[in-house]
Amino acid sequence: MNELLKLQNISKTFRKNNIDALKNISFECAKGDVISIVGSSGSGKSTLLRIIAGLEIPDEGEIILEKNKINGSGIYLAPEKRNCSLVFQDFALFPNMSVKENIFFGKNASKNKSMIDELIEFTRIKNLLERFPHEISGGQQQRVALVRALSINPALLLLDEPLSHLDHELKHQVRNELKNLIKKVGATVLMVTHDTEDAMYMANKVLVLNNGVVDQVDSPASIFNFPLNSYVAGLFGKTNILPFKDFPFLDHHFFDKDRNEDVVSIRPHEFKLIDGNSSVEKPQIKGRVVSVDSLGPFLEVSIDTGKFELIVHVDRNQKIETDHDLSFYIEKK
Amino acid sequence: MDISILKSLKPLRILKQELLFKLNGWTVVSLLVGLFIFFPIGEILLSMNSQSSNWSHLKETVLFTYFLNSFILVFGTAFISLIFGVSSAWLISNYQFKYGKILEWALVLPLAIPTYIAAYAYFDILELFNPLLVWVRNNINIEAMQLLNDSLVYFVTILVMSSVLFPYIYLLARSAFLKQGKQLRDAAKTLGYNEKSVFWKIALPMARPAIIAGVSLVVMETLNDYGAVKHFGIPTFTSGIFRTWLGMGDLVGALQLSAVLIFFIFLLLALEKQARSRSKYHDSLHSKPMSKKIILNKNKSTAAIACCLTPLILGFVIPLFRLMSWAWISRDKASALVSIEMISNSLGLSIISSISIVLIALLLVFTSRYFNSYVINFSNRLATLGYSIPGAVIAIGILLFTAQINAVTNFVLTGSLVLLVFAYIVRYLAVACQPINAGIETNCDSLNNASKSLGSSTYTSLRLVNIPLIKNTLITAGLLVFIDIIKELPLTLILRPFNFETLSTATFDLSSQAQIIEASLPALCMIAVVLVPLVYLNYRLDNSR
Repeated sequence: MNELLKLQNISKTFRKNNIDALKNISFECAKGDVISIVGSSGSGKSTLLRIIAGLEIPDEGEIILEKNKINGSGIYLAPEKRNCSLVFQDFALFPNMSVKENIFFGKNASKNKSMIDELIEFTRIKNLLERFPHEISGGQQQRVALVRALSINPALLLLDEPLSHLDHELKHQVRNELKNLIKKVGATVLMVTHDTEDAMYMANKVLVLNNGVVDQVDSPASIFNFPLNSYVAGLFGKTNILPFKDFPFLDHHFFDKDRNEDVVSIRPHEFKLIDGNSSVEKPQIKGRVVSVDSLGPFLEVSIDTGKFELIVHVDRNQKIETDHDLSFYIEKK
Repeated sequence: MDISILKSLKPLRILKQELLFKLNGWTVVSLLVGLFIFFPIGEILLSMNSQSSNWSHLKETVLFTYFLNSFILVFGTAFISLIFGVSSAWLISNYQFKYGKILEWALVLPLAIPTYIAAYAYFDILELFNPLLVWVRNNINIEAMQLLNDSLVYFVTILVMSSVLFPYIYLLARSAFLKQGKQLRDAAKTLGYNEKSVFWKIALPMARPAIIAGVSLVVMETLNDYGAVKHFGIPTFTSGIFRTWLGMGDLVGALQLSAVLIFFIFLLLALEKQARSRSKYHDSLHSKPMSKKIILNKNKSTAAIACCLTPLILGFVIPLFRLMSWAWISRDKASALVSIEMISNSLGLSIISSISIVLIALLLVFTSRYFNSYVINFSNRLATLGYSIPGAVIAIGILLFTAQINAVTNFVLTGSLVLLVFAYIVRYLAVACQPINAGIETNCDSLNNASKSLGSSTYTSLRLVNIPLIKNTLITAGLLVFIDIIKELPLTLILRPFNFETLSTATFDLSSQAQIIEASLPALCMIAVVLVPLVYLNYRLDNSR
């Protein structure tokens, strides 16, 4: 692996409220990787990004970027000397400078003029260059912030919640543009987001932080299908955490501390309704319908099996009524 | 391992981080500058143990009097300023009435009049009570007359000081009332509270931190006053320090009095900090600020005008008109009483000092915020302590400090303008640091992170990001310091070079020689000079809303 960034046992405690923001964080990032860091608010994801950028100093641990130790015992490289740039949540465009001045503000940015011109063309902001940040839209500000961050040709691009300031419609468009831009420049990216959909869409690897601890690092598909604990399973959408002993035919299971037993995570769409006439050779789960709610493209049905309650998603065209008995089988990838 | 041991190691870890990672040219220079500015105050604190031969005499005879008088003045002035400031701020920020717009703006004008000049303007007010005093002497006894006379002196001094100091509370309270969410008050009204109850139960408790901050400014100014208390003959700590030092020639005694005074000031500051610790309660309200004011009917409108006009007339109109009438009487002597040199001395000194103070404040605040340094933050706190310490005390600290420099370097600083500018820096650095800190925090903190992330140097960030974005804040800070310095008396009086006259010292000198009428000319010049930046600041404050 062509390793670009390596974190070893990074820990950070905030003095003010004595909160352990990060505890022994270790992971690696290869050149060309796009890693999404996800977690609920207060999980430490922004702190981790700020530590990598050099805006916070960790209490313990080492960071190696491009084979140079930038944090470690007695070592701290100031942010301006690190070969990485950060795109802030609120874009942090200098309000007293035009778009052009913002883009060329970075150290040695003028030396990368041809590359910057190409990025300006690609992001369609050429006609905005003479405007000031307050004179352009949120989506345009986002593109300017990205070009500005790339203008210094950083080895690592850090994105702090880059899509959170955008409304729903604009977000999908910008997300697509961002993905294309990253692909075009071949940047190595660490992106912090609380939106698991954005995380899976953008990244080839996802890192889940939970209360300052790395719970899982894997590909988006693996994280979604094979979570290592209940927190990760729940973070990526609705799921049923059920005793493993009732589903011994499933391969993937994990230990749940709260329940003190092995459990499986089965997502609502993984339950398939068995038509009364058809026969299925797979193990079946039977239960009584407790409630039915329409969620647009599908129905969310609550089932009482007698042992536990399930949430399943079925096609909206199915006729499902409460107090009726239904049978399901599980189709997991 | 015991968790408390881990906790106690944290400050050490932070100090280690500061030494290892935040030591650079900027932080070292800022630390040295901050400590240098704190040095004169440190000198006084260090001299606390020294014993004056007169101390037991001072303790037995005057210490209690100084304490009692200072306490009465501080308590009385704070109380009346509170009534003037809060009532006018509440009326202006909540109600629409005739002349409300003009009054909103005019209520700041008393700040242009220093306490000692207001005292001169009312120099003969006590004579009005002579018939009453004579009646009491003839019909009761001489002790009762003496008691009444003393009470009147206190009352008049307190009223005069309050009428020029209340704008500190008015400005902060008005701002707090305007920022308060309309929704909260509407919610209180829907729960059955009337306007009066809303004020006492919602608005006033929410504005408490701002009001307490204003009161603490009034307290500091009252303790700092020398001219007014000397004029009305009330011995306080500040006048006692002057008397012990210059009258009795006992520097150590003056130093001990200063130490006692600093102790009380720090006690007050600690109480203020505790009272303000709930400011989060006030700041965390993000609802819409007050938009529409309540329109008052004719009778209520007249009452509101009267309420706002009373402190304005007492603190600005009467002093100004009296000074103007006296100036008219002494107009023939104008060229002898006010010279161009005197005006240029005042202006030059204030401008040079203001620029120096703003530049130093910018360096200290920027370095502390840019490097997020606890050490610089701490040294900045020490360097800005001077604002809460009376000028006379700072003067003693500075003379002690320069005596040591003189002894070591053979370079005589005493009586030089450099020393006076340094004294102003020690006293007024906080006035500039406060707005600059707020300006950088609001406008530049996140942009500085962006600038660092783009590889820019500290100097580039300061020059291209911070200075352009807080340009107006720097001007405001400079003007605030300018206003304070041009009115300043005790420091200038003690530390000015021989034969160096400013408008404030000329006013004081003339009034000390019982030439109150003649003193009106330099006093009026000073007020005119202060009014220009004050009106401009007021205009900007209005526009920024």
